[in-house]
Amino acid sequence: MDVLDLARTQFAVTGSLHFLFVVLTLGLAPLVAIMHTRWAISGKPLDEAMTRFWGQIYVINYALGIVTGLVMEFQFGLSWSGLSHYAGDVFGAPLAMETLIAFFLESTFLGLWIFGWHRLPKGLHVACIWLVTLTAYASAFFIMVANSYLQNPAGSVVRGGRMELVDFGALLTNPSLVFAFPHVVGAGLFTGAMVLVGASAYQLRRRTEHVEFFTKSMRTGVTTAAIGIFVTMGFGYAQFAVIPVEDKFSGNVGAAIGLAIMMEIGQLLGLIVLLVMLPMIRGLPRRRWTHPILIAMTPLPFVLSIAGWIAREVGRQPWMIWEKLTVADAMSPGLTSGMVTASLIGFAAVLGLLAVVDYVLIARVIRRGPQGLDLGSSSAREPRTPVLSY
Amino acid sequence: MEMIWLVFFAVLLAGYFALEGFDLGVGLLLPFLGRTREGRDRMVAAVAPYVLANEVWLVAVAGTMFGVYPLLEGEVLFGLYPVVVAMLLSWVLRDAGLWFRRRIDGPRWRGFWDAAIAFGSLGLSFGWGMALYAAATGFEASPVHPVGLMLGVVVTLLFAWHGWTFLAWRAPGDFGATRSGRALLLSGAVAALPAAGVLAGAAPYLLEHSAPAATLNVLSLMVLPFAPIMLGAQLWVWRTFRPGKDAFRLPSFF
Repeated sequence: MDVLDLARTQFAVTGSLHFLFVVLTLGLAPLVAIMHTRWAISGKPLDEAMTRFWGQIYVINYALGIVTGLVMEFQFGLSWSGLSHYAGDVFGAPLAMETLIAFFLESTFLGLWIFGWHRLPKGLHVACIWLVTLTAYASAFFIMVANSYLQNPAGSVVRGGRMELVDFGALLTNPSLVFAFPHVVGAGLFTGAMVLVGASAYQLRRRTEHVEFFTKSMRTGVTTAAIGIFVTMGFGYAQFAVIPVEDKFSGNVGAAIGLAIMMEIGQLLGLIVLLVMLPMIRGLPRRRWTHPILIAMTPLPFVLSIAGWIAREVGRQPWMIWEKLTVADAMSPGLTSGMVTASLIGFAAVLGLLAVVDYVLIARVIRRGPQGLDLGSSSAREPRTPVLSY
Repeated sequence: MEMIWLVFFAVLLAGYFALEGFDLGVGLLLPFLGRTREGRDRMVAAVAPYVLANEVWLVAVAGTMFGVYPLLEGEVLFGLYPVVVAMLLSWVLRDAGLWFRRRIDGPRWRGFWDAAIAFGSLGLSFGWGMALYAAATGFEASPVHPVGLMLGVVVTLLFAWHGWTFLAWRAPGDFGATRSGRALLLSGAVAALPAAGVLAGAAPYLLEHSAPAATLNVLSLMVLPFAPIMLGAQLWVWRTFRPGKDAFRLPSFF
């Protein structure tokens, strides 16, 4: 592989890892916020348990979202300085907004939420998780603004060999953005919801003692999954009305395969969720034969999300900015194979291992069920491992 | 407008040193002051509620650099390629250590992630000294220049002292000392000095390389109204987790 392929591989690996965690964050954040709100209103132990259990999964997942995101942010300067050199006056603005008015607040409010248990007044504590949700979506929005600019450089002109911002509004109403952003939001909801369904199916299949807990979780999951997949598919197909399908997918094998996987499996899942799971929602928690199928479906939304990004990003090749700047020209001048190889090995090994550890930790929480949770635990006396039932 | 953004950028970078400095300092001191498992738990619990609000200042620095100084963004990060990669990996390890250390009980698991916190903090602190030296020379000199290495040691020691002051403020007496809020303010200001020095030297260059007016206007319109909210959220963190009765409780999530 030459240096360009290596740099692209590095971006693909870190970007895919990042999105695996981001997509679940986007889905779980509003669900946890709703659970916390229910708890604040009802005061029921069941609602508290749901907030803490799904909240713990949400924050463990969040950890990897952060660390992979750090590498993403700095990678632009490391490997792709040609992009900031040519188009930083345009592309930099949404990225700056993402860090300042979205992620800065998201991280601050998340710290308050995690460590504010038993310390913040009830209402303010709930407000924190809603603010985290709001800023997480703002973050996704600005990243999609930046990405859509690469797909379709709206609102800017080339002047003196560089791109200049002339109309920020056009960046926000970019046809590449207005369908893709809700598409991503729907995919996030769908993914988070399917994790609720899959984890609940696992516990119910094992004849959990927390029947009410996982019955309620599964129903919440099915309802949200139906909304999520409906939004995802609707906006996904609507996109084809505005993007140059011919240019981006024909003759581009990688993009075409990504697109095909996403659409075929996505449609199948859409049919199952909307026509089978949703009508069966009342009986589903009791019908144990369905549970292995539901568990097996859990990883699929993640596969689809990555396939979707491959379709979008590979479809843009060989352009970094569509018909303006090629990826070859966007690469940092002077970047050598040795530099990228070393950093690629470092990032892929460290982030890859951490991702595996993170998923193992999430699986442990799911297996253990809503007891001995760290999130919101009030005293050292609360047993961390009450029953070793496995 | 360039001036406003220079001040904004300077506050973010200096603020990062003053705030994340004590998180890294406590990480550095973990093997020295935290002889027992309970001691390490208390040290991490003391900084835990601040870490997410502190480390994000550097994310904001990088974002601001991209938006306001796009021409410099590539120059700075690419110019420091090996240092930036090493610092990123250190940062990732430190964070992973914090998030993971209490997820499973067991001395080997805890020991591994506590070591990740300590080494990650060391790599990041030392890297900052080298990066600042390279920046001060306009990326002419190699960061492994003796002066760069010396500055690495200086920043590491500064952060360790700042972290120690923080512990003495938040957990008075627990680690052998008691310090007032004013002492913490002072150690924060001192920890920010290396960054402030480089910023002062680079100010004319930064002003000259700001993004064009059209970009800055949009950024100002979108971001500056949120500045009070950003500040307010930070102050809320400090208010919520201030020392005193019930200042920090165990078990902490980190």
